[in-house]
Order: sequence, then structure tokens, then C-alpha cells
Amino acid sequence: MRLWVIGAILSRAAWRGFRGSGVTAWVSVVTISVALFLVGAFSLVVVNMEGMLDRFAEDLTVTAYLEDDLTPEQASDLAKTILAVGVIEYVAVVDKEEALERFRRMTGGAALLEGIADNPLPASLEMRLNPEDRSLEGFSVLEEAVVDLPGIAELRHGREWIDGYARVASLIRVSGYAVAVVLSLATLLIVANTIQLGLYARRDELDILDLVGASRTFMRTPFLLEGTLQGMLGGGLAAGLLWLCFLVLLPSLEYGLTFLLGQTEPRFFGFAEILRLVLGGALLGLVGSMAALLNRRS
Amino acid sequence: MFHVSKSYLPGTWALQDVSLEVGRGQFIFITGQSGAGKTTLLKLLFAAERPNEGQILVLGRNIARLQGRAVPALRRRVGVVFQDFKLLSHRTVEENVGFALDVVGTPRREARSRVFNTLRQVGLQHRRYHHPMSLSGGEQQRVAIARALVGEPEILLADEPTGNLDPGLSVEIIELMMAAANRGTTVIVATHDIALVERYRMRTLNLEGGRLTEVDLEGGGR
Ligand SMILES: Nc1ncnc2c1ncn2[C@@H]1O[C@H](COP(=O)(O)OP(=O)(O)O)[C@@H](O)[C@H]1O
Ligand SMILES: [Mg+2]
Repeated sequence: MRLWVIGAILSRAAWRGFRGSGVTAWVSVVTISVALFLVGAFSLVVVNMEGMLDRFAEDLTVTAYLEDDLTPEQASDLAKTILAVGVIEYVAVVDKEEALERFRRMTGGAALLEGIADNPLPASLEMRLNPEDRSLEGFSVLEEAVVDLPGIAELRHGREWIDGYARVASLIRVSGYAVAVVLSLATLLIVANTIQLGLYARRDELDILDLVGASRTFMRTPFLLEGTLQGMLGGGLAAGLLWLCFLVLLPSLEYGLTFLLGQTEPRFFGFAEILRLVLGGALLGLVGSMAALLNRRS
Repeated sequence: MFHVSKSYLPGTWALQDVSLEVGRGQFIFITGQSGAGKTTLLKLLFAAERPNEGQILVLGRNIARLQGRAVPALRRRVGVVFQDFKLLSHRTVEENVGFALDVVGTPRREARSRVFNTLRQVGLQHRRYHHPMSLSGGEQQRVAIARALVGEPEILLADEPTGNLDPGLSVEIIELMMAAANRGTTVIVATHDIALVERYRMRTLNLEGGRLTEVDLEGGGR
């Protein structure tokens, strides 16, 4: 009961404080939203590039040519054996007829093969590595397991491709984290300072609360709530701005994006990602106001 | 208060070997010129400052060594009034007084009625929705007294409460505090206004250069 009453008093104080500090409060909101906008814009790029990488990875198949005298049953047994190694997510048998058919399609008609009675093309296994194994290590494991299996004639590797893919993917991910960390730290500092201004603007109120016997928690909670509220608003604002930019700027960037992303359709954040942006803002606001309060005591 | 000394700067004493005992419900004046140590004495009593030496017993607790966490609990039992009122100008009279009840989590309805009753004691119930700036100095000090009293403290401390007021209003303020003493609150008023003190012939102590002496009132106290 008492806790409930105190909760009500504190939320009222936080809301009052938010309205009361007027410009200062909105400065924090806008600051947070600018920082989160940058973080968000960057992760939007990362998310889309990862989408592109996934699409690209689908073409990163490893092909193992089979010896000519293998029966279809032996071929599919071989496929099961390789799948059991655990580094590939997908394997398919391409028999001689299918290979010929593909060749015909690729060369557009098959004048070249006209008159050849025997199909010269070998059957093969097409394999795709697990997403987490799309690296040189993953490829080596596969290679070692497959190369000496009876029935395998030759492994055609996209070693360089796989290595390049792995490098690009980790570069994007690592620089994404780095930018997010730097931006968050900068925001934290700015938020802490803005909230410190708010504390300064309300030092009279804090002095009086101190005088009439307010506990430390009672004095601090409204500021923490206020900071969190500002952060959430900042996060929401950032998401809105990003969405606007996505809608408005996208058509004019069409050409460049096609170049960058290939055929991949650019996508916006899903609900979970927007929620993360808003919660990230709340966290920034909360930690920022904690830092400001710690600073006040000393 | 036993053999209390307080120094802000090494080598200088704001209070020196001060001993004082005040009974429950007593009303006393502390007099002395500006710089004599009156404010320091009061600050020690609500733990705004710590003594360098000596012990201070307030409401059965030794607050000379009070932990920071225990200070709010003490302040809820000690009301304080200042020369400059210390009211929030953007809050109404009712909200200013209600502050003291918010911090202990008094439910809203109960808080409103207690604020109303306390404002009636100081004769300001009709001003409860006004802002302090629209009130006279005397009225503002009465609001501050209401804020100090609304939590029903056992002790009321007043530091130059009449310092900014005309003599007529000063009397009004002192009488409000005497009424509080009659209801059982211990009241300590610090002032340099000797004329005011002489009017009342209450127990009076004089501070001079940080040393406290009992003032002998010819004709005795009441
Ligand atoms: N915060 C402080 N820092 C340093 N010296 C102080 C401080 N507060 C008071 N003093 C000194 O202590 C002495 C007593 O001051 P004070 O208690 O304010 O006297 P009064 O209230 O009687 O005018 C003065 O000499 C004053 O300069
Ligand atoms: Mg003083």
C-alpha cells in the first residue's frame, strides 16, 4: 500500500520534472535520438549487407565430381556420409542426365553435343556449408572428410570465394559493433551532462527534499525514471526518423543500392529490432542519469 | 549536547566546548551577533554538519556519529525554518507544504487534509492554491512553518526566522512557534534580534565567539 503510494508520488515527480525542465529534457531526447539514429542507420546497412551476403552464400556451393561407375544408390549413400560430417547444411545429387541438361541450358541449345552418343559429363554432389562454417576452417574440414572417400573423383573448391566471404562478413560485423560502441559512449556522456544540467536546474527542490528527510532513493528515482523516459522517447524518435529516411531516400538511391546489394530487396527493421532501439535508448537514459547522480554526490 | 566543538577551518572554532540541554516541549532562544555560531549550532542539530568534538543527543540518538543512511529518518522528526523561507516558487502553497508528507509516502487524501489543517493553524488555508511569490514575506514564512510542522516533528529549529520581516510580523511568527511548543514540540529559535527576545522572557542562551552562556533574565522566566 505504502509502496504503491510512494510509486505514484515518484512517477508524478518524474513526469513533473520532465515537463518542468522543458528545454533541457527535450535536448536529452533529441541527443539520444540523434545518436540512436546513427547507430540505427549503420545497423540498417549492416543488416542489409548481411542479407546480401546470405544471398551470395547460396551460390557458394562446393562441388564433388563422382566417378562414372557409381550407382545412384551409392551416390546417395555418399551424400548421407558427407552430411554426417556436420559442416554442411545441404547436399544434392546431380546425376549425369541433369548435368547434361544444365549444360544444354547454359550453352543455349546443344549443337556441340549433337551426335555424341555417350554423355561425357560426370555426376556430382552439390554441397553448401553451414552459415557458421563458411570459413577456411569449415572448408578444410569438409575437404579432408570428402577427398579420400571412395567414389569421389575430384573436389572443386571455391576456396578463395569462401575465404573472401568470411572476411567481408566479419569485417562488416566487427565494424558495426565498433561504431555502435563508440556512438553509445558518446551519447552516454552527452546524456549524463544534459541530465546534470537538469539536476542543477532543480537543486532548490533537491535541497528541500534533503531538508524534509527524503531518502536517497526517493530523491534519485524520479531522475532515473525521467532519464529512462527520455531515452525511450529518443529511441522511438530515432526509429521514426529512420523509417522516414528509408521511405524518402530509398527511391533516389535505387541505382547505387542495386549496385551494392545486387538483386536483394532492401529491408527495414522488424519489430524486434525497433524494440531493441527503444530499449537501447531507455538503457542509455538510465545509465546516463545514474552517472549524473553519482557525480552530484561527490 | 555535551562539550561540542566545531571547526570549519583549522585553527578557528565556530563553536567551542558548547554544552546545552533542552527539555521536551521547551521553547528557547539562541542569541548572538552575526558570525557567533548560531547557524552552526542549528546545523549540528539536524545533521547538516558534524561536530569535531563532543556528543549530540537528539531524540535519544547520538547524532554526532550518525550514519548517512540514518539522516533522513532524523530530518522527518525535526522541522527546520530559515530566514529566506526556502519555498519553491513554481509550486503552490499546498504543494510546498505537502513536500514534507510526500517523502514519507502519505496517501494523497490524508496528505491534503493534514496540509489543510496545518495551513489553518498558521492562518493561510485560503491561500493554499496561491504561489509563494504572490504572498507577503510574513505569509511566506508562515508557509515555511507549516511545511516544518506538517509532519508533526518533535523538534522545530528556526534560524533567524524573522530576519526578513517587519517587527509586527516577527511577533506573529514567534507566537506561531510558541503555540507549537505548547502542543509539545521542542522549539529552538536562533536570532540576533535582542528586542524581540526581550519581549518574551523565555529561556535564552547567548553565543559569543563560539561559546554559549545562559542569559540571566531579571524577573525570571514564565
Ligand atoms: N561552511 C563554512 N565554511 C567555513 N566557515 C564557516 C562556514 N559556515 C560558517 N563558518 C564560520 O563559522 C562562524 C560561525 O558562523 P555561523 O554559524 O553562520 O554564525 P551565525 O549564524 O551566528 O551568524 C563564522 O566565523 C563563519 O565565518
Ligand atoms: Mg546565521
